[in-house]
Amino acid sequence: MSIIEVERLTKYYGRVRGIEDVSFQVEEGEIFGFIGPNGAGKTTTIRLLLALIYPTRGSARIFGKDVFRYGPEIRQDIGYLPGEVFYYERMKVIDLLKYAASFYNRDCTRRMYELAEYMELDLNRRVDELSYGNRKKVGIVQGLMHNPRLVFLDEPTIGLDPLMQRRFFDLIREENARGLTVFFSSHILSEVQRLCHRVAIIREGRIVEIADMETLIRNNYKKIRVVARDVDPSYFDLPGVTNLERTDHAVHFFYRGDINVVLRRMSALNLTDVTIEEPTLEEIFMHYYQRSES
Amino acid sequence: MNIFWHEFKSGLRSLLIWSGVMALFILLSVMKMAGYVNNPEMIAVLKAMPQAISAAFGLGPFDLTTLEGFFGVMFVYFALIGAIAAATWGSGVLSREESGKTADFLLALPVSRSRVLTAKALAALANCLLFTLVTGVVSALAVQSYQPEAGFYRLLVLEMEAMFLIELIFLAIGLMLASLLRPSWRAASVAIALILASYFAFAISNMSRDFDFLKYFTPFKYFDAAVFLREGHLDGTYILVSLLIVLASIAIVYVAYPRRDIYV
Repeated sequence: MSIIEVERLTKYYGRVRGIEDVSFQVEEGEIFGFIGPNGAGKTTTIRLLLALIYPTRGSARIFGKDVFRYGPEIRQDIGYLPGEVFYYERMKVIDLLKYAASFYNRDCTRRMYELAEYMELDLNRRVDELSYGNRKKVGIVQGLMHNPRLVFLDEPTIGLDPLMQRRFFDLIREENARGLTVFFSSHILSEVQRLCHRVAIIREGRIVEIADMETLIRNNYKKIRVVARDVDPSYFDLPGVTNLERTDHAVHFFYRGDINVVLRRMSALNLTDVTIEEPTLEEIFMHYYQRSES
Repeated sequence: MNIFWHEFKSGLRSLLIWSGVMALFILLSVMKMAGYVNNPEMIAVLKAMPQAISAAFGLGPFDLTTLEGFFGVMFVYFALIGAIAAATWGSGVLSREESGKTADFLLALPVSRSRVLTAKALAALANCLLFTLVTGVVSALAVQSYQPEAGFYRLLVLEMEAMFLIELIFLAIGLMLASLLRPSWRAASVAIALILASYFAFAISNMSRDFDFLKYFTPFKYFDAAVFLREGHLDGTYILVSLLIVLASIAIVYVAYPRRDIYV
């Protein structure tokens, strides 16, 4: 059974598009990346799944249950780390966490202290004294202290220093190894690439691709750079070639298809140098972005 | 219970401030009262005042030179302050989650919106109850030097009952506005505008019989101290009307708030 099943979920804010016909499934134990530029609809999707807002149409189930009907019940087993963390300003961190813990049907105390220690969070400070990064740490403790089955991370690393980011990633990997399903929304592709098993790319409210991270990076595209005297970029204008451009003596392009076709073309040239690489997720992403713009 | 206590603690500061304001108002009024109660010169001045003016000030039927008469005039201010405080609390319990951007925290927890609503409404209700109690107790203590009789206490109890009913009405209206308006923090100012409009409708309806019809639209007229001072009890029909307004508003809140899109 899928942990999250989203079908043609659509949200309009009045006439403004939030998301349109978003469909995907997240399987148990997976770290599912959700990437797209700011304003693409990532947060809208998460807030719909938490029933903070209601859809214009479409449906969403978590643990097999409709999120809009069984919200309180399914949220017992969901953690949520919002992109920007806001808490009651005049409360002490420990009181805030205890207040949050009081909503769960289990004891969160031990895990709360463990997580706070691991993230080096001072529990006796008041929320309004905390830096942005420290608020984020409170959010991390709050999102995980009840040992949820599923956690939504919305731009989780913003505000965390690099050391804490690494610690946080280790924590997520550890929890994932113990069975936690992770929905990881981000516009920072390198971190999605580091962590996620599968990824959906969202752009202007629509899903443009869902693929295994490995497939996306290894099998789909090659990034090719050819250095040769007097070669015109149009020489490589073959089916499957995109983002074709020239810099100084080199020709760069992405290629998807039978690698022999390109190699045969190259063999007719007098090459100075050639590199064939797997593109980074960033480059794949830019590729999707440019393609749908043109 | 956890939400109730959290809300109650969050609202405690506001309750203390409003109680302080109310206590100050009562003490200053009672100090001023020394110039009226049992003062023959004042009787002459008040008799010379044109009817329309004294009506506009809400003095009309009251004898300012007695303790009961003076507190009869004070009632409308109790009601006004109570209404504004209640509307502020009613709209505030809901809207402050959105204005403070904490709604995502609270409503992503495993709790239904209607449970959140119930706890918050009860916390605001507790504030109204305590505020009314403070008003009554401070009033009683402030006039001890006048050695009030049983009649004064009967009036004071009626005033506090009426004040509480008016608070209930505007508490419910505040909750309703906060669950309907967007952004929800506009609810407090809309509610206060509504209260002031009701108050002016009350003042105008007192000035001339031509505006008598206004009495149906203003809760201040439902419980007119001039009437219950004379009759010795609150008007049963208007108690019913008040409770209907409260129930209708609360019903709207329970339909609207759980379906509301929460934006922060």
